[in-house]
This record gives sequence, structure tokens and C-alpha cells, in this order.
Amino acid sequence: MSDYKALIEAVIKGDIKTAVAETQSVLDAGSNARDILDKGLIAGMDEVGERFSKGQMFVPQMLRSAKTMKECMKLLEPFFQEGDITSKGKVLIGTVKGDLHDIGKNLVSMMMEGAGFTITDLGVDVSPESFVQKAKEVEPDIVAMSALLSTTMPSMPRTIEALQRAGIRDKVKVMIGGAPVTEKYAQEIKADSYASDAGSAVSKAKNLLGVS
Amino acid sequence: MKPMEPPTFQPRLKVLNRDQALAIHTAALEILEKTGFRMEHPGALEMLADAGGKVSNGDWVKLPAHLVDEALKSAPKQIDLYDQKGNKTMPLVNGNTFYGTGSDAIFTLDLETGQRRRTVLKDTANFARLVDGLENMSFAMSMSNPEDVPVEDIYVYVFAEMVRNINKPIVFIADSGRDIVKIYEIACLVAGSEEALQEKPFILNYSEAISPLRFPENVMEKLIFCAEKRIPICLPSGSNAGGGAPVTLAGAMALGIAENLVGLVVHQLAGKGAPFLFGSNVSVLDMKSTVISYGCPEWSLSQAALADMRDEIYGLPIWAFAGASDAKVMDAQAGAEAMFSIITAMLSRANLIHDVGFLEYGSTSSLEMVTMANELVAMSQFFTGGIPVNEETLALEVIERVVSGGPGSMFLMDDHTFEHFMQAQFLPKLLDRSRYDSWEEAGAMDLYKRCNTEAKRILSEHQVAPKPDRVLKEIDLILRSR
Repeated sequence: MSDYKALIEAVIKGDIKTAVAETQSVLDAGSNARDILDKGLIAGMDEVGERFSKGQMFVPQMLRSAKTMKECMKLLEPFFQEGDITSKGKVLIGTVKGDLHDIGKNLVSMMMEGAGFTITDLGVDVSPESFVQKAKEVEPDIVAMSALLSTTMPSMPRTIEALQRAGIRDKVKVMIGGAPVTEKYAQEIKADSYASDAGSAVSKAKNLLGVS
Repeated sequence: MKPMEPPTFQPRLKVLNRDQALAIHTAALEILEKTGFRMEHPGALEMLADAGGKVSNGDWVKLPAHLVDEALKSAPKQIDLYDQKGNKTMPLVNGNTFYGTGSDAIFTLDLETGQRRRTVLKDTANFARLVDGLENMSFAMSMSNPEDVPVEDIYVYVFAEMVRNINKPIVFIADSGRDIVKIYEIACLVAGSEEALQEKPFILNYSEAISPLRFPENVMEKLIFCAEKRIPICLPSGSNAGGGAPVTLAGAMALGIAENLVGLVVHQLAGKGAPFLFGSNVSVLDMKSTVISYGCPEWSLSQAALADMRDEIYGLPIWAFAGASDAKVMDAQAGAEAMFSIITAMLSRANLIHDVGFLEYGSTSSLEMVTMANELVAMSQFFTGGIPVNEETLALEVIERVVSGGPGSMFLMDDHTFEHFMQAQFLPKLLDRSRYDSWEEAGAMDLYKRCNTEAKRILSEHQVAPKPDRVLKEIDLILRSR
């Protein structure tokens, strides 16, 4: 059993160089990839999540840690078969039709990815039809929609209706968010969940799918 | 002969030297020439191409600096806004500063319950009437994004509601080239005719491009409409440090200014000489919560810097924010942040200053907060007025008289005090200086409670001169037409 203290520390610090070197060195020392992932990288990211929620870390530091983990994963991937690395769930995300704002949506994508979800990002100005088409293709667990403008919010219920018509509404959970969106609005349009920011989007998504 | 009176120095804030201002401007021009931007409006794209912009990949434009120079030359250096009775109340020029509310708050603090709740159309009416009754608030924005009107015409509804409840100028939002036509129709009705509105505009449109460097079709529709109709417009973007723009303020400003210059160029190509209010919103994306902060020192600093750039380079009146906070309730944080931005905006001579009365980083509006800000503006005006130094204010004769007077002689009794105290002192109305016992007797109210009482008083007592019935009826017809 290897000691992953240095790797965990490097992930928390977002020190890509050291983390990659550590990953290589524990691999060379004979550690197994699953062990490195679980007890090194994920353990480090769990600590990052913990510190962030306590207000001890800032967003760019957290994103840097996620980037560090991603770089280390490149070394581990060859040791995994496809399907070996379990995802927390598949998320199809986009900014709704008529709305071109993407900072909030991108942040949600990155945080969810960092938390272990598999993300398909449709970008901005995504029509209900595009959501439906892609949902059929990737069979997501969650469809997540973002809107910054109140005038584009009606695209959210339209997308939900389109999912309904396509017969896949029951197969996905729908999450919504964005500056003008409220919990009440989510209930009105029968979305399954509302998240007020990227951090809570992650915990709400975990709740929806019953994963931790 | 009377001694010469030295002119009164009025305190003024400067945060950039000329070299810094020029360096940011040059960087903005470089962004436009070398990086370019995405112009999604075919008409605007064509105008830019015809004028000498280099178009590639369909809608990507690189803009030579001389187009910016030409636009800066043709845009008017002064924008006059009138009230709805035709009086010039807001000459946006030089060091004139005017404060007003903001738009589109999703929530408001209920005046009766104090609870944060979703905004409705009635809130727009209340904020407009309050602004009409507050002497230091010069213009209104909607302060609400009401949930009880059809969302596709939301901006037409809030505009009509403001027209019904205020006679001061209105800064309005529209969604696209579709609803802005209806809003324009209403404005023409109020002014009397298209010509009357053009001659004495009481409206100014606020639209936003998307940082970084994206100009959506619906936004450009509004810009071109305003240029053609000569409606004053302002087109900042969301170039917030760490969000739509680099985390460092200089880079965020360069990007925001570059984006604003694109708007200005298209605007002047569409309507040479039409009024354009310059401005870039450069706040910060908070690195813990990811909200765009409305109480941070950075936004005040960047707009003070923009004011310096106006003085050094642009010469156009500028758009700014103040009197807002990230606090969730009107507490000490709200007061501190509101005052910080109000006084710095005034000291840097920003011209049109909006968002007064926002809490919760612009998501919640508060009638109490606007009422408090009205007094903070008065306080700032007093400070910015400086200290007149002349024979009368030096008051040497008064000193002589009081000192050489008999027992009981004192300044408080002297006629000089009686004649001058109202100008020489700032006389607060809501900021409490009463002695403890009388404060307690009056109900031991904190500033929030006093502002609540005052806002209620104004809303129940202040009369807004109503628009003619004919105008109101036609507005109803416009609202009903889909």
C-alpha cells in the first residue's frame, strides 16, 4: 500500500506538475490504478470540496484542482477498461433557446464534471428539439437547463413539453437554474429540481440520482 | 474694494494618470483590430464591412482603429434627458451626476412584511412613485421583473407602469427590435409626437452585449433602432473581472471598453450624431459565491477609472452604478456598500448612475434602500460641494463680534448663524442624531425602520401628476395588441 499523501496534497494545491509526477511515481512503484484514483485523486478532490463548502477555498483554486486531477487521470486511463470508471451519472446541459449566456452554465458543467458526472454540453441557444435529439442519443440521467434572461425562461417549460412529447420525460430528471429562476418557478413548470448556484447544482444532482 | 474670492474647489477623485488611461484605450483598440468580435446581426455586419471592418468566418469582425476615432468624433458630447413634462432635468455632460434605480430585480423586500418575495407589476409602480417623490433620485428603472405580466411583453408592461407613476426620465430595457417598437410608441404618446420625443427625449435604453466580444442579433436590433430614432442608448457588456473578462481590472476594462466601442461604431454608422452614453460595467465575479458583486470596491474603482478615461480621451457622458449592495437585508453592510459607491461615483463625476436601491447583488430591490440612498446622495452632494472661502464664510467680523460681545454672546445667537446655517451645514432627515432619550421615545427605530416609515409616507402622500386620459387609454390599447 502506497502513501498518497504527496499526491493528495498536490491535488489540493492544484500543483499539476507535482501531481502528475507523483502519479507516475506511485504507478512505477507498483500501485494499482484503481487505488491511486480512489485513495489519491478522489480523496484529494473530496478534501477540496469540503474546504470549498466551508469557504476555505476559492473557485479558481477548486477548478485548478479539478484540472490537476484530469491531468493525472490521463496517466491512469490506459489501466482501465471502458466502463471501469463509474460515472455518478450522465448530464445533458445547455443554455435554453434564445439565450446566449454561458458563464453560469459552464461553471455548473465544470463543477459537475469535477464531482464525477459525465457531461454533454450542448452550448447556448439550445432549442427544445436539440435537447430531445441529444437526450435520445446519449440517454442522460439528468437534463439541465440554464437561462439568464427572464424572457428566455419560457424555453424551459417548452423543452420539458418536448421531452414529454418524445416520450422521454420519465426517463430523465430535469434541473434548472439561472439568475431569474426560482424554486417556485421550477415547481410551476414541473422541473424536478432547481439549483441556485454551481455548488448546489452538484448536491441537487446527487440527490436526484441518489448517489453520494 | 472687496477682496477677490478664490473659486471653490470641488473635491474630485482621480484614479488613473493619462498614461494609464491611454494604455487601456490602446489595449481596447488592439482587441478590436487583432482579436476581433462576433457580430450576429447581418445588417450591422454589413455596415461594419462597408466601413472597412474585415469580416471572416461569417460573422467575425476585426475593426480598424480609425473607425473608432470617427465614431468618437461624431457622437454628441452632451446628452440631455427631459422629464415627461418637457423640462430639461438631466443634462448629461461634464461633471453632472444623476442617480436613479435599477431594472429587473426578481425579488423585492415587501414594504409591509419585510419579507423577500417575487416582484409583481405593482412594485414597478411603487418604485416609480417613490423615485418621483425623492428629490435626489433623477430617473427610474423598473426595479422589478414582475411575474404577473405576459413574459413576452414584460418590458412593455413595466414601461407603461412607469409612465403611469412617474414624470421623471425613464431608463428602459427591451428584449429586442420587436418590443422596443411598442415602448417607443408609448413614449411618443407621452411626448406628444415622434418629433417631440426626439427633441426632448425622456427615455434612454439600456442594452447589453455579451462578454467576451459577442453581439447578439436582438441586442443590435435595439441599438440600430435607437440610433435611427435618436433615442439615447447605453450598451455596456458584462465584462466583469473573472467572469466575462480577465480577472485583472485593467484587462477587464480594456475588454469592456472594446465592446462598448463596437456598439458606438455600429451606432454611429446607423445614425451619425445620435446620442450614445458611454460605459462598461466592470464589477467582479465573487470567487466564493460566483455572484457578480454589487457592493465591491472594484466596480467603483473601475468606473472612477472610466471617468478619468472620459476626461482624458472619450469626452462622452458615462454610465455608472451606485447605491447597491450584496447584503440580503438592509443592514450595516448595505449602508456601508451603498455609501461607498454613491460617494465615489459622485467624486469621480460619473454622469448617469443607476442601480440605486438594490440588495442581494441586484436580485432584490428595496424601497427602503432607495429612500436611504436618497439621503446618502444628499450627504455626498454636500461633501462634493467643497468649502466656499470668502469674506462671508471666513466670518472674521462675526468672530470679532462674538468674542468682544458681553456675557451671553455666542455664535449660536448671532444673525450670521441664522442666515447661513441651512447652507453651511448638512441637515439630515433620516440619519439620526437625536439624543438617546428622544430616540427611545420615538420608538427606538433603526435606519431601516425609519426608511420604511418614510417610504410608506411618500407612497401615501406624494401625488404624481397623472397623464391625460387619452394617453392612458391608448397605452392600454398598445398593451392589449399582440
